Amino acid sequence: MAKVKVANLREKPQAELTKTLEQYRRELMDLKVQQVAGAAAAKSSKIRDVRRNVARVLTVLTQQARSEVRSQYAGKKYAPKDLRPKKTRALRRALTKSELSRKTLRQQKKEANFPIREFAIKA
Amino acid sequence: MSSTKAQTARKAALKGTQGQKVKKVRTTTAFRLPKTLRLARTPKYVRKAAPRFAKLDQYSVLKQPLNTETAMKKIEDNNTLVFLVDVRANKHQIKDAVKKLYDVDAAKINTLIRPDGIKKAYIRLPADVDALDVANKIGFI
Repeated sequence: MAKVKVANLREKPQAELTKTLEQYRRELMDLKVQQVAGAAAAKSSKIRDVRRNVARVLTVLTQQARSEVRSQYAGKKYAPKDLRPKKTRALRRALTKSELSRKTLRQQKKEANFPIREFAIKA
Repeated sequence: MSSTKAQTARKAALKGTQGQKVKKVRTTTAFRLPKTLRLARTPKYVRKAAPRFAKLDQYSVLKQPLNTETAMKKIEDNNTLVFLVDVRANKHQIKDAVKKLYDVDAAKINTLIRPDGIKKAYIRLPADVDALDVANKIGFI
């Protein structure tokens, strides 16, 4: 059996995906048993594909679950911490761009009334 | 019964007009922690977005059956199957896994950890089930 197409997996609902997962894991188990019993070379390569398929299904499952939670918390103030941007600890605590760009009223007026002038010399 | 002026005056004279302080009766000398309101948690966000699926489920417990000479002997003579099993699995989990995956009840299970770190489980089957049949059905004879 070839690699399963992830695009096909993504359109399946969660219940179906869990069933597919069980199928693949059963197959993996059978393949392992056959390997112990002494199998042909074809089976040995198949086991790799099945393992990867299991990983694909699990990936799609977690992605679906997480995106669902994300949409629940979209626009809210507090989201689960593993859905917030990871960056680095220091970056998360740093000033935001808007906070950095804030100016005092005094400075705003200065800049408005005395802007940096640029002159060009006529050649 | 409406109090007349005389009755209210009598009350005022005896008990005063302000109302009396009620002192709580203390039956012990110790001051114990008073019972206060305890609210349940209402978290603003769920801590973990999506809960992890079980890592050690029935498919992960049993790794592979053994078909060495001694294992074969065990199947024929003692009606037991020999499996390599995940190290973190315990006998209850092994029993459940065998039940779910191969539809066989285990009479008893003995485990040991091999010198190379892999757990080996001797799964004894009840007398009415033939281990050889089960091994054939699983496919590793």
